[in-house]
Amino acid sequence: MEGLLVKINYLEFLHLMPELVLVFFSFLIMSLDLILKDKKLLRPFTYLSLLITLLVEIIYKNFGESFKIFVQDSLSYLMKIFIILVSFLILPFLDRYLKSKGSFYPEVYYLYLFTIVGMMFLVSSYNLLMIYVSLELVSVGFYVLTALLRGSFLSKEGAFKYLILGGVAIALASYGAFFMYLYSGSLDLREVLTYKSENKLLLNLGLTFFLIGMAIKIGAVPFHFWLPDAYQGAPTPITSFMASVGKLSFFIPLLRVVPYLQRYEDFWVVLVGFIAVLTMLFGNLVALVQKDLKRLLAYSSIAHSGYMLAGLTSVSFIGIKAVGYFLIAYALMSSGSFLIVAYLEEDERFKNKVEQISGLRFSNPTLALSFSLFMFSLLGVPITVGFFAKFLVFTSLANKNLYLIALLMALATAISTGYYLRLVVLAFMREGKESLKLPKLDPLGFLSLLLLTLSLFFFALFPGTVYDLIRW
Amino acid sequence: MEVISSNLPLLTTLILFPIFSSFLLLFVREELVKFLSILASLIEVLFSLSLLYRFDLSNSEKVQFFERYYLLKDLNLSFAFGVDGLSLLMVLLNALITLVAVLWSIRDRQITFRLKEYYAWLLFSCGVLMGVFISFDLISFYVFYELTLVPMFFLIGIWGYKLRLYSAYKFFIYIFASSLLLLIGIGGVAVVHKREFGHFSFFYLDLLKNHYGEGLGLFLFLLFFIAFWVKSPFIPFHTWLPDAHGEAPTAGSVFLAAVLLKMGTYAILRFNFGLFPQITLKLQPFLIFLGILTIIYASWMTLVQKNVKRFVAYSSVSHMGFILTALSTLNLEGFRGGVMEMFAHGLTSAGLFMVAGFIYNRLHTFNFDRLRGSIRFMPLYALTTLLIVYGAMGLPGGSSFWGKFLTILSTNELSFKLSLITLIGAFFSAMYLLYFIKTLYIDAQTESVIVHFSDLRGYKLIAFTLLVIFIIFVGLYPKPFFKIYEASLKLILGGFK
Repeated sequence: MEGLLVKINYLEFLHLMPELVLVFFSFLIMSLDLILKDKKLLRPFTYLSLLITLLVEIIYKNFGESFKIFVQDSLSYLMKIFIILVSFLILPFLDRYLKSKGSFYPEVYYLYLFTIVGMMFLVSSYNLLMIYVSLELVSVGFYVLTALLRGSFLSKEGAFKYLILGGVAIALASYGAFFMYLYSGSLDLREVLTYKSENKLLLNLGLTFFLIGMAIKIGAVPFHFWLPDAYQGAPTPITSFMASVGKLSFFIPLLRVVPYLQRYEDFWVVLVGFIAVLTMLFGNLVALVQKDLKRLLAYSSIAHSGYMLAGLTSVSFIGIKAVGYFLIAYALMSSGSFLIVAYLEEDERFKNKVEQISGLRFSNPTLALSFSLFMFSLLGVPITVGFFAKFLVFTSLANKNLYLIALLMALATAISTGYYLRLVVLAFMREGKESLKLPKLDPLGFLSLLLLTLSLFFFALFPGTVYDLIRW
Repeated sequence: MEVISSNLPLLTTLILFPIFSSFLLLFVREELVKFLSILASLIEVLFSLSLLYRFDLSNSEKVQFFERYYLLKDLNLSFAFGVDGLSLLMVLLNALITLVAVLWSIRDRQITFRLKEYYAWLLFSCGVLMGVFISFDLISFYVFYELTLVPMFFLIGIWGYKLRLYSAYKFFIYIFASSLLLLIGIGGVAVVHKREFGHFSFFYLDLLKNHYGEGLGLFLFLLFFIAFWVKSPFIPFHTWLPDAHGEAPTAGSVFLAAVLLKMGTYAILRFNFGLFPQITLKLQPFLIFLGILTIIYASWMTLVQKNVKRFVAYSSVSHMGFILTALSTLNLEGFRGGVMEMFAHGLTSAGLFMVAGFIYNRLHTFNFDRLRGSIRFMPLYALTTLLIVYGAMGLPGGSSFWGKFLTILSTNELSFKLSLITLIGAFFSAMYLLYFIKTLYIDAQTESVIVHFSDLRGYKLIAFTLLVIFIIFVGLYPKPFFKIYEASLKLILGGFK
């Protein structure tokens, strides 16, 4: 009986301070939504709550472990800052977009916040149970947010696909957890992987199922089928949210596994390397023929999952740091590029066709410049974060003599030149049939795009700001 | 190799001044753009001349004016700028060519729209090219090496001729894809350094100490070499070049031929030969074979071109073959000749592209057959063209003479037969230029078809004169140029002992 009575040290709650703050605000906004007649107040409250959480997160640097299931360390600290920051930068476009599409629901604010809470828990845990619960918190948020467009068949289809495959993912992943528990008697990933036993089959099975579950979530080939549909169907700011911070948080559990893998390196390299190569080649090849801009960027997102997985095959210190840097770089690039698409969609004639980008330089020069910079960064042209991330991955692969994967990654990148460059060519070198007339951007939206564009260069010129914080 | 630091950030200024002025150009009134860009390129020339003035010639093998800015202390990743004799020569060439390209563009018929962007890209390109030649950290070299693609991509894609989009794509994809291999190679080299010395380093002088195993060394050498193979280019990866050069606006072709191609051979000399001397010795026969094949193939291709820009483009490829052959002999004469040819070909190919651009401006076609007979109305143009072609042909007194002469001399040191083959290559390159001269000057045309053109004048005349002065100067008195870069070559050569 005494074993069951766990004595709670309430001081350990202090490590969870930023999460608790955000949970509090989410519930507050939820109840305000019920009480208030004037829903306009919700918007400033959402901004305020994210801002306060960000401040608490940055200033209240209380590293440590709570209840053996929650870890606040340097890695999660860094990732949480970027999760909140990027979500904050996406927010100005969210209600703007939904209002212009005539499907604004006030619920979107607290759904958005709850999803962020889920991500914050997801990036700071080694415990499988905790990981899966927060994974579902994020995913449920995504399902609902994806389906948010009123009267859009694509949106519903995407959400439904995402829901079904997401459910399968979590089921498979739980199956993996079951094997791991059977193997070691623990759900803590560190304990599972450092447990010494002859029976490796159970662990290999467990890791495989865990990996497949996570692969579905990050959209790795051949488990990617939901991703293009969901990304295309979702309201574009939500796509931006899913592609950037969503992907970032889904990757962290995989990242946390890697340092404990020394003994299982061969198994890991073959499995992850295979998925990685398949993902980047397939994603880039299919993106080449896309006619829909959001779908194209969705496939590019799949390809980027491949690059990051390739970084994970290098089971080394620098490999993990490279992937951590890549995650943040990709969060910045993808959020920016999807936000520009979201802004373009405010002209009703813009139907997300790739050709409709043409002549953007003449109708909106600054936007064209910013868009091209995002494309160049996704392509990996120096000196942007995209380049730096790829370079780190290459170096980490060379570090483990995985030159084959590096060469295939170079091939995939070379393929991707085709579509990224095409967008730049359309924007700058072709004249459009009709020039888009976009409403003026509000100051917050402008600031957000400006910051995202500048961050492409800032974090490449001062990579240490991010790179040095990736510790655990 | 040692470094001499400077207290003034001279080299940073050299890079950042054109880049910043290119940003500024976007915000000024359109009428001022031409004047300001001439001013900026003049100032850049003065900057590089001041470098020459401050350069310590007695220590020209050392890396002078050294500056280093760390990006990432963890991996020893930095922007390291310095100038030794070899870099200095390329810096001077780049500054001169920028001035010439800007002067040429002022009255170019092709450049009549989106002027701000155009001159901004030209100056930006100048800045990043400076960065390529003065980088002594592999990662900063790579950053600038790849950044040169972006301005050239826009220059070709927006202001180019008919097939501009196709050519721009082709140019970008060829070079971007190949340079990704270089990026892997750079990572590999740094990793080798880590295994040997315990820490990552991308700094050139650190990497010189590396030792490579047989297989890995060859692999890394090839990763580097393939990137520069495509960039330089040698056959069979030269196919992007006639398209890019043929369709780019004149100033763009001038930049491409005069400076961008030199990046490839410069990098082969500094990085491939400098970092992997043992592997280079092993691959020497292959490199010489590749060079000679390129000379002969490209010369023949040149002979059949009717489009004058493609004509000059193929002739550039054959000259790059000369440079590779000269460098791969791995003796001092060869190195001297190769580097001299890099400089000389920079001048003459820029001149030839301007000759071609002039034909288009007057005739609205690149078919130089149409010009025959008419050239007598343009005495100044006829004279400058003749002087430039004379320089390119490699006749004594022309700028290319020293390059070709030393190449043949250095191949003779390896074997007599080889020097004969090189001689035949030199003969071919004279042949196509003679054919060009014959078409323009001697071939007659019935009186009624001859068109009366106005002669060279104004800015274009200045641009031509600048080039011709340098071509003659290099041809008649090459000693100061040899003196600038010789010591750095000896240092690289020392690695083979």
